[in-house]
Amino acid sequence: MAQLGILQRNEAQAQGRYSVEVKHVSKSYGETEIYTDLHFQLLKGTFVALVGPIGSGKTTMLNMFAGLDRPTSGTILVMGQDITKMSEDALGEFRARTVGLVPQVQTLLPELTVRENVELPLFFAKVDSEDRRKKVDYVLEKVGIRGEARRAVSTLSVGEKQMVSFARGLVNDPPILLLDEPTEALDPLMAEVILGLLRGDNLTLGRTIFVTTHDKRVTELARKTLRVKKRIP
Amino acid sequence: MSRGVSLQEGQLLARSLNVTKSTRQVIATVAAAVAANAAAAIQLTGLIGQISLLVLIFVTLSVGTSAISSDIYARSGQTIANLRSIGASSRSLSSAVFFSVIGYGVAGSALGAGIGAALGIAMGGQGGAVTIMVTVLGVILASSAAAAAGVYAGVRRTWRS
Repeated sequence: MAQLGILQRNEAQAQGRYSVEVKHVSKSYGETEIYTDLHFQLLKGTFVALVGPIGSGKTTMLNMFAGLDRPTSGTILVMGQDITKMSEDALGEFRARTVGLVPQVQTLLPELTVRENVELPLFFAKVDSEDRRKKVDYVLEKVGIRGEARRAVSTLSVGEKQMVSFARGLVNDPPILLLDEPTEALDPLMAEVILGLLRGDNLTLGRTIFVTTHDKRVTELARKTLRVKKRIP
Repeated sequence: MSRGVSLQEGQLLARSLNVTKSTRQVIATVAAAVAANAAAAIQLTGLIGQISLLVLIFVTLSVGTSAISSDIYARSGQTIANLRSIGASSRSLSSAVFFSVIGYGVAGSALGAGIGAALGIAMGGQGGAVTIMVTVLGVILASSAAAAAGVYAGVRRTWRS
C-alpha cells in the first residue's frame, strides 16, 4: 500500500488534488488490530480495487472512507474534507453531497418503491423536487431499471435490489463512489451492466471509484489494486 | 443547515420509520386530553395558575412526545443506520417524525382546547369571548411547541446512544 501511495503521490503532484488522503491511520476493535499506521493517497478520478481475504478489513476501510466508521487514530481526508473530525450531522451532509455508497448488505428500505429508494439521498442533499425527478429518471434509465420504478423493493430479486442500490449510489452524481463487492449477487448480464457503467463513469466523468471485490473482472477494470494480505484473527 | 425536510419528504421517511396511524392517534388523543383539562382549568384560576397550567401542558406533552419519538427510533435502528449511510442527519430524521405527527398533535390540541373551553364555561369560568379565544390559542401553541421539542429531544437522545 505504501508503494501505491508513492505512485499516486507523484501523479497527484501534477494535478494538485487527491480524492482520498489517509494519514497514519490505525484501526482496531478492542484488542484486535485491523490496520496499523496506514498512509497513502488516491488521486481524483482514479479507479482502485481493494482485494483480500474475507474478514481482512476491506469493508472497514470502505466504511472509514464513508465516515460510517472512525479510525482509532490518524486522519482521513475525502475530497479535501477531514471526515475524522466531523460531527455525526456534518458527516450526514458530507455523505449526502460527496459520497455514493453501494454497500454489500442490502440497505434499501423495503416499504418504499424503487423510485422512492433512489430518491432518498436527494432529499438529504436538499435537491428540489423538479431536479429530483429528472435525476432519478436519468439514473434509473442509465442502470436499466426505469421500468421497475413503481415496484416495491420487497418484490425485487437480490440482483435487482443490487441494481437499485447502485442507482441510489449514483443519483447524487457523487465525486467519489464506494462499492462493496458490487458484482457478488449479480448474474453475468447484470454484472456486465455495472462494470460498463463503472468504466464509463470513471473515464468520462472522472469519478473516483473505490471498490472492494473478489471479482477478477473488476480488478482487471481498475487502474490500481490494493491488497490486504492478512485475515484478521 | 437551512432546513430539515419538507412535508412530502417527511411522510416518506415516516413510512420508512414505521410511524403508523396508531402512533399519530396516540399523540392526538394525549394532546386532546391534556389540552381539554388545561383549557377548562385555566378559566377557573388566576394568572399564576394559568401560567402554571401552560407550563404543565408543555412539560407533560414534551415528555410524552419525546418518549414516543425515542420509541419510534429505537424500533427502527437498522432503518436509521441505512438512512445515515445515504446522508440522513438527526435533524432531517427529527423533521420527518415531526412533520408526520404534528398535524395530529395540533388537531388533538385544538379539539381538546375547544372542549375544555366549553367545559370551563359550563363550570362557571370567568372571562369573555376574547379571553377564552386567547386561552384556547395559548393551549394550542403550548401543545404544539411541546410536541416539537419532545420529538426533537427524543431523536437527539436516541441518535447519541
